[in-house]
Amino acid sequence: MTGDEAMAAYARGDARAFEIVYDAVAPRLEGYLRKHVREAARVDDIIQQTFLQMHVSRGSFIPGAEVLPWAFAIAKHLMIDAQRKTRREEPHDFNDEGDTHARTMSSRAASGEDEAVARQARERMAVAYERLSPPQREALDLRTQGHSCAKAATALGTTPMGIKLRWRRALLALRAALREDDGSSDSIPPAKGRS
Amino acid sequence: MTQSPDLKGRVLAAVGNVPAPTRSQTLRARAWLFACGVVGALAIFFIKGGLRMTSRPPSLVVLTSLGTAVIVGTGMAVLLTRGRDMRGRPWTALVAAALLATAGFLAWKFGVSALYGLTERWPDRPGFRCLRLSVAMGALPLCAALLSWRRTRSITPLATGAAFGAGAGLGSTVLVDLWCPVAYLPHLLIGHVLPIVVLALLGGVLGSRLLAFQRR
Repeated sequence: MTGDEAMAAYARGDARAFEIVYDAVAPRLEGYLRKHVREAARVDDIIQQTFLQMHVSRGSFIPGAEVLPWAFAIAKHLMIDAQRKTRREEPHDFNDEGDTHARTMSSRAASGEDEAVARQARERMAVAYERLSPPQREALDLRTQGHSCAKAATALGTTPMGIKLRWRRALLALRAALREDDGSSDSIPPAKGRS
Repeated sequence: MTQSPDLKGRVLAAVGNVPAPTRSQTLRARAWLFACGVVGALAIFFIKGGLRMTSRPPSLVVLTSLGTAVIVGTGMAVLLTRGRDMRGRPWTALVAAALLATAGFLAWKFGVSALYGLTERWPDRPGFRCLRLSVAMGALPLCAALLSWRRTRSITPLATGAAFGAGAGLGSTVLVDLWCPVAYLPHLLIGHVLPIVVLALLGGVLGSRLLAFQRR
């Protein structure tokens, strides 16, 4: 059974056919994404999202249509979306609980004291954010958007304790990134689990 | 190339947790919604008086309505379907279909009415009543189409929504043509063509909100 036939079968309700679709599409999708996205975790995230979108849209699959161009179009869309989101989130990082240090640096820069240091802090934060695993990033995003642990857990399909752990690890990783070149980590409040 | 079995397991587990309708369930739901939209449009048409012959000879009504139905039906078939490609039709094809169907309808209605010498101006009918009626009748199938596609995210939400809007607008012109006896060109532009543009814009705006991808 080809990937196209398997997708048509999956659209009809044959649940086992999805594994065939995955085996036919995922390697080529991964090859394509690796050319455009540096981090392996992000590639995995986009592949997972692509297959979820294909799964949710299976009812609209046209029998006889090609599955590969469709999967590539979804993946490309998600990749661009993720890149836009990352660009938007860079300035947003300064609202995070663990960003007091960066804010302090910014205020110093605003007064003309240490603009270069503040820029470096921002860059370190952005790099540290990129290095977080997708689950940690998702937990951090939802928590900083004001969602409770319970609500975030429902959205991400995990437990509130799982969210607390991911969120705490994400904050620790961000704090560690700021501490790398600077010993002034005292200004960062300790990460506390909130429910 | 590193194909992670862990990723495969995660994908299959995630897919198992998210319910998704099969093709037959989707088609059934779409058929119901679309039927509701069409019935709603027909209800408005009949509440507003239904077919109105006025001074038009029956042959003119039959000719304009059949011609309009064929032209508009062809346009709608292109605008409301995706052919054999899951990515949908290119936006150039959608724009061409909408423009050609609209121009074809306009030329047919005006041309056939001119043959009967019935293209004179109606001073009390600038076209705003037809505009309102067309938009009201087209909005229901448009909403039905957008709602039926809401679960299945489109790769091009704006173009898909605009195409749905133009298709719904074209569909409503068939009914308005049965209702409206005026074939004066400015009236046709305001009352019969402008609603297609309005509904296409509305469809584009709603489509970009309702049909866009969302991370799951």
